[in-house]
Amino acid sequence: MSAQAAVPAPPPRPPRPARALVVQSAAVALAAAAVLLVIVTTLGNLQARGIPIGFEFLGDRAGFKIADTVVPFVPDHSYLRAIGVAIVNTLFLSALVCLAATLIGSALGVARLSTNPLVSGLAAVWVETVRNTPPVLLLIFLYAGWGEAMPVGEAQEILPGVLASIRGVAIPSLTGLGSATPLLLGAAAAVGVYLAAELAARRLARAPGRRFPVRRVALLVLAGLLAGFLIWRGSGLALDLPQAQGDDIVGGARLTPEFATVVFGLAVYTAGFIAEIVRSGIQAVPRGQWEAGRALGLREGTILRRVVAPQTLRVIVPPMTSQYINTIKNSTLAITIGYSEFMTVMGTVINRTNHALEGTLIIVAVYMAINLALAALLNLYNRRVQQRGRGNG
Amino acid sequence: MADVLAPPPAPAGLAPWIGRLFGSPLNAVLTLLVAWAVWSAAAPLFQWAVLDAVIWPLNPAACRDTTGACWSFVAAKSGQILFGIYPIEERWRPAVVCVGLLGLLAWSLRPSAWRPVLAGVWAGALLITFLLMFGGVAGLSFVATTMWGGLPVTLILTVTAVGGAFPLGVLLALGRRSDLPAIRTLSTLFVECVRALPLLSILFIASIMLPLLLPAWLLPDKFFRAMIALLLFAAAYLAEVIRGGLQAVPPGQVEAAQALGLGFWRTQGRVVLPQALSIVLPSLTNTIIVMIKNTSLVLVVGLFDLISSGKAALADPEWSAPALETYIFIAAIYFGLCFGFGRFAHSLERSRQEPR
Repeated sequence: MSAQAAVPAPPPRPPRPARALVVQSAAVALAAAAVLLVIVTTLGNLQARGIPIGFEFLGDRAGFKIADTVVPFVPDHSYLRAIGVAIVNTLFLSALVCLAATLIGSALGVARLSTNPLVSGLAAVWVETVRNTPPVLLLIFLYAGWGEAMPVGEAQEILPGVLASIRGVAIPSLTGLGSATPLLLGAAAAVGVYLAAELAARRLARAPGRRFPVRRVALLVLAGLLAGFLIWRGSGLALDLPQAQGDDIVGGARLTPEFATVVFGLAVYTAGFIAEIVRSGIQAVPRGQWEAGRALGLREGTILRRVVAPQTLRVIVPPMTSQYINTIKNSTLAITIGYSEFMTVMGTVINRTNHALEGTLIIVAVYMAINLALAALLNLYNRRVQQRGRGNG
Repeated sequence: MADVLAPPPAPAGLAPWIGRLFGSPLNAVLTLLVAWAVWSAAAPLFQWAVLDAVIWPLNPAACRDTTGACWSFVAAKSGQILFGIYPIEERWRPAVVCVGLLGLLAWSLRPSAWRPVLAGVWAGALLITFLLMFGGVAGLSFVATTMWGGLPVTLILTVTAVGGAFPLGVLLALGRRSDLPAIRTLSTLFVECVRALPLLSILFIASIMLPLLLPAWLLPDKFFRAMIALLLFAAAYLAEVIRGGLQAVPPGQVEAAQALGLGFWRTQGRVVLPQALSIVLPSLTNTIIVMIKNTSLVLVVGLFDLISSGKAALADPEWSAPALETYIFIAAIYFGLCFGFGRFAHSLERSRQEPR
């Protein structure tokens, strides 16, 4: 680095030759001509078919059902609401898959590095299988398997409290929570307290002198919040366990076979990729870091948290970012087994209204917006992770 | 630093295995737990897939009262799954195409094959591929793209998408690093837009929008629409891979080439690109594997790839529709293609690095 700094600054660039201008003008003209051709023919084609252009149709009554939604939706709602509902479905699905895949994938990545050949071998089989087969096939396979593997008659308990039948999976749910607003406010307050405590702890860790136990105080505050909530709503609170009733299930929170298959399948698939990211991240930290930590007398857990994990994070955050964005893109595969995510609903909307041009614009705009927002968010996190290391890195 | 002792010889026999499996309490518990889990999953699977399975005879009656896997269905229908509804007596044509394309793909992975003549070989191979598939010349009967299906569709789409995308990707990668702002903006815009969209939506847009966007005389049929969509998609991803390679070539190489008086194209083509491409060879093979997997998505626009042919075969009412067996067979084909391709590329990579 220092050798390069000593090199004198390059002389100012000579003015661009005329050729550069010609090449650029030609490229721009070509692109413009292509776009113009497309616009002219599109307008002509639309006119010939008598299709008006405009987004007014979004306010019309949708008139179709969406089978499985997070936000309530009925056919009397507008197309705009249908699209919004579908976006929420996509985001909810992707978030669940990312969460599950990160947990499974991290465990799988560690398992691949295990000295136990049985554990690492099993993890390798998982990773190689999902990396070398198309995710669509996995989803279709699981969906077909659901029909064959699920008990035909009575619903059965597959895990404690979890019932499954041909009609779907039911998990225990909490009832008596009341309306969503105070819950969301409480959750937001909890996250706020946690973040503030984290920041304060960081700040204080740099200052000399006695430590104030910020994190412990924050935990106490959070426990207080939770206790307050329980006292406030405690009497009405109950755990709703699903019960088998013939081949149907009553109670609990229901997941349709489609939703359960998509979440499970994509989580299994994505976990295989996250496992490789985590493995390479751990392998990227030199063994000397562990040894140095031990030489300083740190405990193994402390070394993992304070020495190895920050360096692993620095390596794995950028590829994890693209993996999360990939997950949102992969959620479109739900279309093949009939879960109503964004693309499925857009297909229906375009079919019903004939507004292919506007529909396409909405598709492009929504995916661009989601991707850019997620990338910006994760880049912010990445910058924090990267800065934690050497200042000049 | 004087004498470094050789490491002690590794113990032979079963001892190290027992050590690794049961060396510490944690390991012993893990081993038992995993062994139990594997056993409880694998035993019924083995029972289903092997012990109770029906392999012979190849007729619907064979599978009527079995609780095991019905492999005779897969065996009886393998032709339909592999080649779709391509006329039965003409199936040798897609078979030749598959073998030829796979062989050529493997052959062109070797850096020693990277000569200008390779582009010519591929152009010739693609011409022969389409002649064989379409027919209509030299006594071969004509077969429309609507009759194409199965493995040849997967391979043709992969090869044409990657092959066509490659030059486009190189241009886009060079464009994104160009000094000319207009070129740089256009390339960046294209690459980022395509990468932001899921492939499925690009295929969908290509199938519903192209009829609106293009004049009728330019409109390709369903097969070629999907091919164009895959090609543009692959180009954006290849461009990023190649750009990574371009960035890894030391700037001194460009300066040296310019000092020798080479122009832009000769600098890039003779000096920078060969180095850049061999740096990113692992990522390139990875992209090809991803594209093999991605072609499976053409089923949503109604093309008969392996999965759709499998589904079509399952629709035969005479059989009991053994879906899982069929999908396992298709998964095995994809796995063989992708895993085999990946391993082959990896071994080439190793043999290339050893002499240095």
